[in-house]
Amino acid sequence: MKKKAYIFPAFITEFTGKEISFLEDHNIDINTYLSNISESLAIELPTFSYEHEFYKEELNSQLIAYSFSCAFSDILKSKQIIPDYIAGYSMGIYASLYASGSIDFIQGAQIIFKAYNLVKALSDEGLHGMGAVVGLTYSELNELILKHNYALEIINTNNEHSLVLAGKKNDLKELLTIAKDLGALSAGDLTVNTPYHSRFLKQFAAPFRCFLDQLNISDSKLPLISTYDQKLVFKVSDVKLELVINLTESINWGRTMLKLIDLGVEEMYECGAGKDLKKISRFIHGNYKIKSVYNI
Amino acid sequence: MAKITDNTRNEVKEIVLDFFAEECEVDAEEISEDANIISDLDGDSLMFLELIEIFKKKYNLNIELKTIGKYAVKHPVKTIGELIDMQMLIIEHENNILDL
Repeated sequence: MKKKAYIFPAFITEFTGKEISFLEDHNIDINTYLSNISESLAIELPTFSYEHEFYKEELNSQLIAYSFSCAFSDILKSKQIIPDYIAGYSMGIYASLYASGSIDFIQGAQIIFKAYNLVKALSDEGLHGMGAVVGLTYSELNELILKHNYALEIINTNNEHSLVLAGKKNDLKELLTIAKDLGALSAGDLTVNTPYHSRFLKQFAAPFRCFLDQLNISDSKLPLISTYDQKLVFKVSDVKLELVINLTESINWGRTMLKLIDLGVEEMYECGAGKDLKKISRFIHGNYKIKSVYNI
Repeated sequence: MAKITDNTRNEVKEIVLDFFAEECEVDAEEISEDANIISDLDGDSLMFLELIEIFKKKYNLNIELKTIGKYAVKHPVKTIGELIDMQMLIIEHENNILDL
Protein backbone atom coordinates (compact mmCIF):
# COMPACT_ATOMS: atom_id res chain seq x y z
CA MET A 1 0.00 0.00 0.00
CA LYS A 2 1.26 3.47 -0.88
CA LYS A 3 2.41 5.63 2.01
CA LYS A 4 0.35 8.74 2.53
CA ALA A 5 0.77 12.10 4.19
CA TYR A 6 -1.53 14.94 5.04
CA ILE A 7 0.03 18.31 4.37
CA PHE A 8 -1.51 21.50 5.74
CA PRO A 9 -1.26 24.99 4.22
CA ALA A 10 -0.74 28.13 6.30
CA PHE A 11 -3.02 30.69 4.75
CA ILE A 12 -5.49 30.70 1.89
CA THR A 13 -4.09 32.74 -0.97
CA GLU A 14 -7.06 31.98 -3.16
CA PHE A 15 -10.07 29.72 -2.75
CA THR A 16 -10.74 27.20 -5.49
CA GLY A 17 -14.46 27.91 -5.11
CA LYS A 18 -15.13 24.20 -4.57
CA GLU A 19 -14.55 24.19 -0.82
CA ILE A 20 -18.06 24.78 0.47
CA SER A 21 -19.83 22.41 -1.91
CA PHE A 22 -17.22 19.74 -1.13
CA LEU A 23 -17.87 20.12 2.60
CA GLU A 24 -21.64 20.12 2.05
CA ASP A 25 -21.35 16.90 0.04
CA HIS A 26 -19.89 15.38 3.18
CA ASN A 27 -22.50 16.93 5.45
CA ILE A 28 -20.08 19.39 6.98
CA ASP A 29 -20.90 23.02 7.63
CA ILE A 30 -17.80 25.18 8.06
CA ASN A 31 -19.89 27.56 10.15
CA THR A 32 -20.20 24.91 12.84
CA TYR A 33 -16.40 25.01 13.20
CA LEU A 34 -16.50 28.81 13.28
CA SER A 35 -19.26 28.83 15.91
CA ASN A 36 -17.18 26.56 18.12
CA ILE A 37 -14.25 28.95 17.82
CA SER A 38 -16.45 31.97 18.55
CA GLU A 39 -17.81 30.33 21.65
CA SER A 40 -14.50 29.19 23.04
CA LEU A 41 -12.60 32.40 22.35
CA ALA A 42 -15.48 34.76 23.15
CA ILE A 43 -15.19 36.42 19.77
CA GLU A 44 -17.70 36.67 16.95
CA LEU A 45 -16.78 35.03 13.68
CA PRO A 46 -19.40 35.83 11.04
CA THR A 47 -21.00 33.30 8.72
CA PHE A 48 -18.46 32.37 6.09
CA SER A 49 -18.64 33.58 2.51
CA TYR A 50 -15.87 33.59 -0.07
CA GLU A 51 -16.06 37.35 -0.46
CA HIS A 52 -16.08 38.23 3.23
CA GLU A 53 -13.37 40.85 3.88
CA PHE A 54 -13.41 39.88 7.56
CA TYR A 55 -11.62 36.63 6.78
CA LYS A 56 -8.79 38.44 5.03
CA GLU A 57 -7.57 40.07 8.24
CA GLU A 58 -4.50 38.46 9.78
CA LEU A 59 -6.02 36.60 12.75
CA ASN A 60 -9.26 35.75 10.99
CA SER A 61 -7.42 34.46 7.94
CA GLN A 62 -5.53 32.07 10.20
CA LEU A 63 -8.71 30.90 11.92
CA ILE A 64 -10.55 30.27 8.66
CA ALA A 65 -7.58 28.45 7.13
CA TYR A 66 -7.33 26.34 10.29
CA SER A 67 -11.06 25.54 10.21
CA PHE A 68 -11.03 24.43 6.58
CA SER A 69 -7.92 22.35 7.14
CA CYS A 70 -9.41 20.58 10.14
CA ALA A 71 -12.67 19.97 8.26
CA PHE A 72 -10.82 18.52 5.27
CA SER A 73 -8.75 16.20 7.45
CA ASP A 74 -11.95 15.09 9.22
CA ILE A 75 -13.38 14.06 5.85
CA LEU A 76 -10.24 12.20 4.81
CA LYS A 77 -10.25 10.28 8.07
CA SER A 78 -13.93 9.45 7.70
CA LYS A 79 -13.04 7.97 4.28
CA GLN A 80 -10.38 5.83 5.95
CA ILE A 81 -7.60 7.68 4.15
CA ILE A 82 -5.23 7.51 7.08
CA PRO A 83 -1.82 9.14 6.73
CA ASP A 84 1.53 7.67 7.68
CA TYR A 85 2.95 11.14 8.27
CA ILE A 86 1.79 14.71 8.64
CA ALA A 87 3.39 18.09 8.04
CA GLY A 88 2.13 21.64 8.41
CA TYR A 89 3.41 24.55 6.37
CA SER A 90 4.02 27.48 8.72
CA MET A 91 0.76 28.10 10.59
CA GLY A 92 -0.49 24.85 9.11
CA ILE A 93 1.21 23.22 12.10
CA TYR A 94 -1.92 23.79 14.20
CA ALA A 95 -4.24 21.84 11.92
CA SER A 96 -1.60 19.15 11.52
CA LEU A 97 -1.49 18.68 15.29
CA TYR A 98 -5.28 18.53 15.35
CA ALA A 99 -5.18 15.78 12.72
CA SER A 100 -2.52 13.91 14.68
CA GLY A 101 -4.64 13.93 17.83
CA SER A 102 -2.11 15.99 19.76
CA ILE A 103 -4.55 18.85 20.32
CA ASP A 104 -8.29 19.16 19.92
CA PHE A 105 -10.00 21.66 17.63
CA ILE A 106 -10.58 24.26 20.33
CA GLN A 107 -7.03 24.03 21.63
CA GLY A 108 -5.75 24.70 18.12
CA ALA A 109 -7.87 27.83 17.92
CA GLN A 110 -6.71 28.90 21.38
CA ILE A 111 -3.06 28.51 20.37
CA ILE A 112 -3.59 30.56 17.19
CA PHE A 113 -5.39 33.23 19.21
CA LYS A 114 -2.67 33.34 21.86
CA ALA A 115 0.19 33.48 19.34
CA TYR A 116 -1.55 36.26 17.46
CA ASN A 117 -2.21 38.31 20.57
CA LEU A 118 1.33 37.83 21.85
CA VAL A 119 2.86 39.25 18.70
CA LYS A 120 0.12 41.82 18.12
CA ALA A 121 1.99 44.72 19.74
CA LEU A 122 4.84 44.16 17.30
CA SER A 123 2.50 43.72 14.33
CA ASP A 124 0.54 46.84 15.22
CA GLU A 125 3.68 48.96 14.93
CA GLY A 126 3.43 48.29 11.20
CA LEU A 127 7.21 48.17 10.94
CA HIS A 128 7.57 44.52 10.01
CA GLY A 129 6.45 42.36 7.17
CA MET A 130 7.10 39.38 4.96
CA GLY A 131 7.87 38.97 1.28
CA ALA A 132 8.46 36.30 -1.34
CA VAL A 133 11.03 36.14 -4.12
CA VAL A 134 11.01 33.76 -7.08
CA GLY A 135 13.98 33.41 -9.40
CA LEU A 136 16.98 34.23 -7.21
CA THR A 137 18.97 31.65 -5.26
CA TYR A 138 19.25 31.50 -1.48
CA SER A 139 22.87 32.63 -1.59
CA GLU A 140 22.13 35.51 -3.97
CA LEU A 141 19.37 36.79 -1.72
CA ASN A 142 21.37 36.27 1.45
CA GLU A 143 24.34 38.12 -0.01
CA LEU A 144 22.09 41.11 -0.67
CA ILE A 145 20.81 41.04 2.91
CA LEU A 146 24.36 40.96 4.29
CA LYS A 147 25.73 43.50 1.83
CA HIS A 148 23.08 46.09 2.69
CA ASN A 149 22.90 45.08 6.35
CA TYR A 150 19.14 44.68 6.07
CA ALA A 151 17.17 43.64 9.13
CA LEU A 152 15.77 40.69 7.20
CA GLU A 153 15.98 36.92 7.22
CA ILE A 154 15.21 34.26 4.66
CA ILE A 155 12.74 32.36 6.77
CA ASN A 156 11.63 29.66 4.38
CA THR A 157 12.77 27.86 1.25
CA ASN A 158 9.78 26.52 -0.64
CA ASN A 159 11.99 25.11 -3.34
CA GLU A 160 15.27 26.09 -5.00
CA HIS A 161 13.62 29.02 -6.79
CA SER A 162 11.10 30.27 -4.21
CA LEU A 163 12.13 31.97 -0.97
CA VAL A 164 10.26 33.76 1.79
CA LEU A 165 11.62 36.68 3.82
CA ALA A 166 10.67 38.36 7.08
CA GLY A 167 11.89 41.42 8.89
CA LYS A 168 11.77 45.20 8.82
CA LYS A 169 9.30 46.51 6.28
CA ASN A 170 11.46 49.34 4.91
CA ASP A 171 14.38 47.02 4.32
CA LEU A 172 12.06 44.48 2.74
CA LYS A 173 10.72 47.07 0.33
CA GLU A 174 14.26 48.01 -0.75
CA LEU A 175 15.36 44.42 -1.10
CA LEU A 176 12.34 43.47 -3.23
CA THR A 177 13.12 46.35 -5.59
CA ILE A 178 16.76 45.28 -5.87
CA ALA A 179 15.71 41.66 -6.40
CA LYS A 180 13.51 42.69 -9.33
CA ASP A 181 16.32 44.76 -10.84
CA LEU A 182 18.63 41.76 -10.58
CA GLY A 183 16.20 39.59 -12.53
CA ALA A 184 13.91 37.92 -10.00
CA LEU A 185 10.84 36.67 -11.84
CA SER A 186 8.69 37.95 -9.03
CA ALA A 187 9.35 39.78 -5.79
CA GLY A 188 6.48 41.02 -3.68
CA ASP A 189 5.35 41.56 -0.13
CA LEU A 190 2.89 39.34 1.67
CA THR A 191 -0.10 40.93 3.35
CA VAL A 192 1.07 40.37 6.91
CA ASN A 193 2.57 42.69 9.48
CA THR A 194 4.13 39.93 11.54
CA PRO A 195 7.64 38.64 10.74
CA TYR A 196 6.78 34.99 11.37
CA HIS A 197 9.55 32.40 11.71
CA SER A 198 12.18 35.01 12.43
CA ARG A 199 14.42 36.28 15.23
CA PHE A 200 12.12 39.28 15.62
CA LEU A 201 9.65 37.02 17.43
CA LYS A 202 12.14 35.42 19.82
CA GLN A 203 10.99 37.69 22.64
CA PHE A 204 7.66 35.86 22.56
CA ALA A 205 9.10 32.34 22.86
CA ALA A 206 9.01 32.17 26.65
CA PRO A 207 5.46 33.48 27.19
CA PHE A 208 4.21 31.29 24.34
CA ARG A 209 5.83 28.24 25.91
CA CYS A 210 4.26 29.20 29.26
CA PHE A 211 0.85 29.25 27.62
CA LEU A 212 1.42 25.89 25.91
CA ASP A 213 2.38 24.36 29.26
CA GLN A 214 -1.05 25.26 30.60
CA LEU A 215 -2.78 23.25 27.87
CA ASN A 216 -3.43 19.55 27.96
CA ILE A 217 -1.46 18.68 24.85
CA SER A 218 -0.90 15.00 24.04
CA ASP A 219 1.72 12.99 22.21
CA SER A 220 1.24 13.04 18.47
CA LYS A 221 -0.39 9.80 17.30
CA LEU A 222 1.15 10.29 13.87
CA PRO A 223 4.71 11.32 13.12
CA LEU A 224 4.87 15.04 12.44
CA ILE A 225 7.75 16.21 10.25
CA SER A 226 9.41 19.23 11.79
CA THR A 227 9.64 22.03 9.24
CA TYR A 228 12.58 23.36 11.25
CA ASP A 229 14.97 20.37 11.15
CA GLN A 230 12.85 17.66 9.47
CA LYS A 231 13.01 15.35 12.50
CA LEU A 232 10.02 13.20 13.38
CA VAL A 233 8.04 14.64 16.26
CA PHE A 234 5.93 12.44 18.57
CA LYS A 235 6.37 13.33 22.23
CA VAL A 236 4.39 16.10 23.85
CA SER A 237 7.57 17.88 24.94
CA ASP A 238 8.79 17.88 21.34
CA VAL A 239 5.37 18.99 20.09
CA LYS A 240 5.52 22.04 22.38
CA LEU A 241 9.08 22.79 21.34
CA GLU A 242 8.06 22.52 17.69
CA LEU A 243 5.21 24.96 18.25
CA VAL A 244 7.57 27.53 19.77
CA ILE A 245 10.28 27.00 17.17
CA ASN A 246 7.70 27.32 14.41
CA LEU A 247 7.06 30.86 15.59
CA THR A 248 10.61 32.03 16.12
CA GLU A 249 12.94 30.08 13.82
CA SER A 250 13.21 29.75 10.08
CA ILE A 251 11.56 26.77 8.43
CA ASN A 252 12.32 24.84 5.28
CA TRP A 253 9.27 23.51 3.49
CA GLY A 254 11.26 22.21 0.53
CA ARG A 255 13.37 19.99 2.79
CA THR A 256 10.25 18.90 4.64
CA MET A 257 8.71 17.69 1.39
CA LEU A 258 11.94 15.89 0.49
CA LYS A 259 11.90 14.20 3.89
CA LEU A 260 8.39 12.90 3.21
CA ILE A 261 9.56 11.64 -0.18
CA ASP A 262 12.60 9.98 1.41
CA LEU A 263 10.29 8.26 3.88
CA GLY A 264 8.50 6.71 0.93
CA VAL A 265 5.41 8.89 0.85
CA GLU A 266 3.84 8.72 -2.61
CA GLU A 267 0.50 10.37 -1.96
CA MET A 268 0.20 13.73 -0.23
CA TYR A 269 -3.23 15.14 0.49
CA GLU A 270 -3.40 18.92 0.69
CA CYS A 271 -5.70 19.44 3.66
CA GLY A 272 -6.95 22.95 3.19
CA ALA A 273 -8.70 25.49 1.06
CA GLY A 274 -6.97 26.63 -2.12
CA LYS A 275 -4.07 24.76 -3.68
CA ASP A 276 -1.05 26.71 -2.47
CA LEU A 277 1.00 23.66 -1.48
CA LYS A 278 0.50 22.02 -4.86
CA LYS A 279 1.66 25.22 -6.50
CA ILE A 280 4.88 25.50 -4.49
CA SER A 281 5.66 21.81 -4.91
CA ARG A 282 7.10 22.58 -8.35
CA PHE A 283 10.82 21.82 -8.47
CA ILE A 284 10.50 19.36 -5.59
CA HIS A 285 11.29 16.22 -7.47
CA GLY A 286 10.44 12.69 -6.47
CA ASN A 287 8.03 9.82 -6.83
CA TYR A 288 4.97 11.45 -5.31
CA LYS A 289 1.73 13.18 -6.17
CA ILE A 290 -0.17 15.87 -4.36
CA LYS A 291 -3.69 14.55 -4.41
CA SER A 292 -6.70 16.80 -4.44
CA VAL A 293 -9.14 16.09 -1.65
CA TYR A 294 -11.94 16.92 -4.07
CA ASN A 295 -11.31 13.70 -5.99
CA ILE A 296 -11.48 11.24 -3.10
CA MET B 1 20.79 29.37 -30.55
CA ALA B 2 17.95 27.17 -31.72
CA LYS B 3 16.95 27.34 -35.34
CA ILE B 4 13.57 28.97 -35.81
CA THR B 5 11.41 27.39 -38.47
CA ASP B 6 7.89 28.10 -39.67
CA ASN B 7 6.75 25.34 -37.40
CA THR B 8 8.44 26.61 -34.23
CA ARG B 9 5.59 28.84 -33.11
CA ASN B 10 3.14 25.97 -33.50
CA GLU B 11 5.43 23.74 -31.45
CA VAL B 12 5.78 26.38 -28.73
CA LYS B 13 2.05 27.01 -28.72
CA GLU B 14 1.30 23.33 -28.36
CA ILE B 15 3.70 22.98 -25.41
CA VAL B 16 2.29 26.07 -23.67
CA LEU B 17 -1.33 25.01 -24.17
CA ASP B 18 -0.68 21.42 -23.08
CA PHE B 19 1.12 22.70 -20.00
CA PHE B 20 -1.73 24.98 -18.94
CA ALA B 21 -4.35 22.39 -19.89
CA GLU B 22 -2.79 19.92 -17.48
CA GLU B 23 -2.39 22.53 -14.76
CA CYS B 24 -5.95 23.82 -15.08
CA GLU B 25 -7.49 20.40 -15.76
CA VAL B 26 -9.15 21.60 -18.97
CA ASP B 27 -8.80 20.67 -22.64
CA ALA B 28 -6.07 22.55 -24.51
CA GLU B 29 -8.66 23.58 -27.11
CA GLU B 30 -10.49 25.54 -24.43
CA ILE B 31 -7.52 27.84 -23.85
CA SER B 32 -7.33 30.82 -26.19
CA GLU B 33 -4.33 33.04 -26.87
CA ASP B 34 -6.28 35.88 -25.27
CA ALA B 35 -6.64 34.04 -21.96
CA ASN B 36 -5.16 35.99 -19.07
CA ILE B 37 -2.54 33.83 -17.39
CA ILE B 38 -3.25 35.01 -13.87
CA SER B 39 -6.96 35.77 -13.75
CA ASP B 40 -8.19 33.11 -16.19
CA LEU B 41 -5.68 30.34 -15.63
CA ASP B 42 -4.51 30.93 -12.06
CA GLY B 43 -0.91 31.07 -13.27
CA ASP B 44 2.04 32.20 -11.23
CA SER B 45 5.76 32.82 -11.55
CA LEU B 46 6.69 29.26 -10.61
CA MET B 47 4.56 27.95 -13.48
CA PHE B 48 6.35 30.40 -15.77
CA LEU B 49 9.67 29.14 -14.43
CA GLU B 50 8.72 25.53 -15.05
CA LEU B 51 7.76 26.35 -18.62
CA ILE B 52 11.10 28.03 -19.16
CA GLU B 53 12.87 24.90 -17.91
CA ILE B 54 10.84 22.81 -20.37
CA PHE B 55 11.90 25.05 -23.26
CA LYS B 56 15.51 25.19 -22.08
CA LYS B 57 15.68 21.41 -22.25
CA LYS B 58 13.76 21.01 -25.48
CA TYR B 59 15.74 23.60 -27.43
CA ASN B 60 19.02 23.27 -25.48
CA LEU B 61 18.92 26.97 -24.66
CA ASN B 62 21.70 28.98 -23.09
CA ILE B 63 19.87 31.59 -21.06
CA GLU B 64 19.95 32.61 -17.43
CA LEU B 65 16.74 32.90 -15.49
CA LYS B 66 17.78 36.35 -14.33
CA THR B 67 18.09 37.49 -17.93
CA ILE B 68 14.49 36.42 -18.50
CA GLY B 69 13.48 38.14 -15.26
CA LYS B 70 15.07 41.41 -16.37
CA TYR B 71 13.38 41.16 -19.76
CA ALA B 72 10.03 40.35 -18.17
CA VAL B 73 10.19 43.45 -15.97
CA LYS B 74 10.39 45.62 -19.09
CA HIS B 75 8.03 43.50 -21.17
CA PRO B 76 5.45 42.01 -18.81
CA VAL B 77 3.42 39.12 -20.15
CA LYS B 78 -0.29 38.90 -19.44
CA THR B 79 -1.85 36.56 -21.97
CA ILE B 80 -1.07 33.14 -23.38
CA GLY B 81 -0.37 34.71 -26.77
CA GLU B 82 2.16 37.11 -25.24
CA LEU B 83 3.75 34.22 -23.38
CA ILE B 84 4.14 32.24 -26.61
CA ASP B 85 5.70 35.28 -28.29
CA MET B 86 8.12 35.74 -25.39
CA GLN B 87 9.14 32.08 -25.52
CA MET B 88 9.80 32.51 -29.24
CA LEU B 89 12.11 35.44 -28.50
CA ILE B 90 13.88 33.45 -25.80
CA ILE B 91 14.43 30.56 -28.20
CA GLU B 92 15.65 32.88 -30.92
CA HIS B 93 17.86 35.20 -28.92
CA GLU B 94 18.69 33.37 -25.68
CA ASN B 95 20.94 35.55 -23.48
CA ASN B 96 20.93 38.31 -26.08
CA ILE B 97 17.25 38.94 -25.50
CA LEU B 98 18.11 42.01 -23.42
CA ASP B 99 19.72 43.61 -26.46
CA LEU B 100 16.42 43.72 -28.32
